[in-house]
Amino acid sequence: MVIKTTARDRINDENDKAIELNNVSYQYPNSLEPSLRGLNLSLNKGQFIVLMGAAGAGKTTLSLCLNGLIPQLFEGELTGEVKVAGRNVRKTPVQLMSTILGLVLQDPETQILGRTVEEDTAFGPRNISVPLEEIQDRVDRSLEKVRLKGYNQRLTEELSGGEKQRLAIAGVLAMEPEILVLDEPTSELDPAGRLEIYATLDDLRRKRALTILLAEHSSEEVINRADEIIVLNQGQLVWRGEPTQLFRDIPLLQQYGIKPLPVSLVGWNLYEKGWIAIDEIPLDLPSAARLLKKLLSSPTQSANAVMHFPLQPKQHDRKDHQFPEEKAIEIKDLFYQYQSGNPILQGINLTIDSGDFVALIGQNGAGKTTLAKHLNGLLKPTSGEVCVHGMSTQKYDTAHLARTIGYVFQNPDHQIFSTTVEKEIEYGLKNTGLTTAEIKEQLNQVLKETGLEDYRHVHPFTLGKGERQMIAVASILVLKPRILIVDEPTTGADYSGVQAMMRLINQLHQGGTTIIMVSHDMDLVAQYAQRVIVLKEGSVLLDGHPREVFAQEKILADASIIPPQLCRLSACLSDVGFSETLLHPEEFTALFERGDITKCW
Amino acid sequence: MLVASSSENTLIHRLDVRSKMLGFLVIIILSFLFQNPIYQLAIISATAFLALAINIPLRKITGLIIPLLPIVISIILITGFSYSPQHFDHLSNRKILFYLFPGKHLGATVGGFLMGTTFLLRIWSLLIASSILTFTTSLEDFTQFFQWIKVPAEVSMILTTALRFIPTLDKKRSLILEAQMARGMNLHGKGIIGSIRSYIPIMIPLFINSIIMANSLSMAMLNRGYGLSRVWTVKLDKAIAARDFWALTVIIFLSFLCLFLRFKLRLGLL
Repeated sequence: MVIKTTARDRINDENDKAIELNNVSYQYPNSLEPSLRGLNLSLNKGQFIVLMGAAGAGKTTLSLCLNGLIPQLFEGELTGEVKVAGRNVRKTPVQLMSTILGLVLQDPETQILGRTVEEDTAFGPRNISVPLEEIQDRVDRSLEKVRLKGYNQRLTEELSGGEKQRLAIAGVLAMEPEILVLDEPTSELDPAGRLEIYATLDDLRRKRALTILLAEHSSEEVINRADEIIVLNQGQLVWRGEPTQLFRDIPLLQQYGIKPLPVSLVGWNLYEKGWIAIDEIPLDLPSAARLLKKLLSSPTQSANAVMHFPLQPKQHDRKDHQFPEEKAIEIKDLFYQYQSGNPILQGINLTIDSGDFVALIGQNGAGKTTLAKHLNGLLKPTSGEVCVHGMSTQKYDTAHLARTIGYVFQNPDHQIFSTTVEKEIEYGLKNTGLTTAEIKEQLNQVLKETGLEDYRHVHPFTLGKGERQMIAVASILVLKPRILIVDEPTTGADYSGVQAMMRLINQLHQGGTTIIMVSHDMDLVAQYAQRVIVLKEGSVLLDGHPREVFAQEKILADASIIPPQLCRLSACLSDVGFSETLLHPEEFTALFERGDITKCW
Repeated sequence: MLVASSSENTLIHRLDVRSKMLGFLVIIILSFLFQNPIYQLAIISATAFLALAINIPLRKITGLIIPLLPIVISIILITGFSYSPQHFDHLSNRKILFYLFPGKHLGATVGGFLMGTTFLLRIWSLLIASSILTFTTSLEDFTQFFQWIKVPAEVSMILTTALRFIPTLDKKRSLILEAQMARGMNLHGKGIIGSIRSYIPIMIPLFINSIIMANSLSMAMLNRGYGLSRVWTVKLDKAIAARDFWALTVIIFLSFLCLFLRFKLRLGLL
């Protein structure tokens, strides 16, 4: 009797398991280190699990193991057992696994196989010979789930990034899987696209008992969604538990290369001072606002505080005076339109001083990249004029301007063609007519600045994306441009990759280089920029200091921009008479120490 | 095969894929039928007329030929020297313009250069014709056509996927070109070899990106059950309409006319 009950329990327990991994290790061919090391994992059905960790932690590899792409498509050495919904993945064809576990990858461009939305969504069911009438039904249901109802005949190439990724999810859902695995589905998308994907995931959770495993870098989006978070580090499971526990442990997040929430950083500073308990560290905006107001209502606390965190000199107020009066860029009445007549830029007038750090922000299609491409002559104005250090871009070609203004593109793989890092970086210099000795000197200097010295003889494609992005930056820096345009320099990078890239850009800025950064990451913009230019429909909507610009929440909302979390936190304190917009966690702590706010009470 | 299909609804868009494929095949045959560049110009004019009628961005197609110019010029030079006078029917084309080496070695013939020009114009007309085909035909239609002519499912998928990814690769090409220009790339190298070499920084990243894309694509296809069985659900066949009969009549008439000109009247030869 006892034995029977145990057996039934075991069966029930197994039936409840969506995913089971027993001592799973995997090493890619030609790789020196394994990507997964002795992974043991068991996930119940119906949960929303988030997989976090730095780049190279093993998140993508684990995702590929779950539907059998490893080891059926990717060669390499897989040991241990992977079971999904009770099936041994090694023994089940990937195509059959796709009806049990749907996998959505990072890049929506390479997941869409049809010309129209309907054709693409129907691709999967047609492969598994679903009858035509049922295919139509599945297509309609899947499109509705991802908020693409009525898009059936739209051409896939005309969809936005967010729509394309939702279509990729619809294509997977049309296979009617029990489990949905998404590998950083928002890493290539703008904020609007990210919101669309998360709204879709919320809908999916509400409408259907689907098990969701999401690999993600972004902390803000997962905190209130995940039932559980799993942290991988160098292929090992290093932490597992509730999101609240993880995001309150700032040292742990930093150890594993996960971005902390800005409001938690404020809370962590207060916790370190002994003003709050660890479980009081806020994890979202309302709780942060409540906490700060509560602290403010207790004047003794701030009065007794010792000033450990003096307000940092505001980076934005620092001005490099190396080129005090010189204009780096002058744009006069710039209009640009496509051959079809569609206007993209409509009467831009701007002056950027030498040594500035300017951020161009705005939703996709606002004209940010089009404007940036005018600065180095990749695009020529339809009317108006762009001058770079006195040179009109109408008169000089991009090759000539490249020595004055560098442009680092989003994807480093669009430029790498040499067999070593050294050759890749010196390519631009060879076009300038410098002597071999001069080339070597400049090359060595840039390799040192970018930390690529150890890789100089290595093939660029054997390095990770972070290092390849650094090579792209180095190949521009070697030309010693006085102005540097960086277009989404941190897209798809993990927290430590973002920090490394921004340290370098900031260092260049300190050295006198004018920086123009196109970015969707408002936290980075707030942290580093001296001036923010907001574009909307090809015109300048706002232009000013980050504190001024991010205080305009309503106007920014009109341009689909959400200010950084800390700026919104500052706004939440307006009802207690606080009017400043703060950008850094330390500034909040310093306020208490200075007693600025307590005077209001 | 360089322009993605559009959702417009011109007469050519509405034609059955079989009619369009036959028309395309006829244009290929005709372009190989005639050696004389004048006749090639006539074929180009006809295809360009069709392209303009359906609003294909002709400037874009012409732009695509520009990077090929160094290769095309090389071909014209090579053919100029490699065709001996005996290859040509007309005496004027047998004329040797000059010799490359002393002792009357390696002569450049008029016919050879004209043949090279024909090669250039042939590439051009085929580019326009294939663009008309891809601009007006959906992937679903291509897939059905390949099934109709009993092409194995795998081959059909390879062909349609290749067509689907042409616009994506074209976008990649533009991005790569911009990235290299931003670091001072000069596309005008010295001499023919220099010109070809200057394209290496574009061709290699394009090749690498194509491989990365192909890898991602194979994953995406497996994720969607591709290859589970050799059959898949087929949509209902389209019926041949009256407009197709008219189109076929025109195509067949033109084919016979050209065959008559070429073989009976022996026109279009060099």
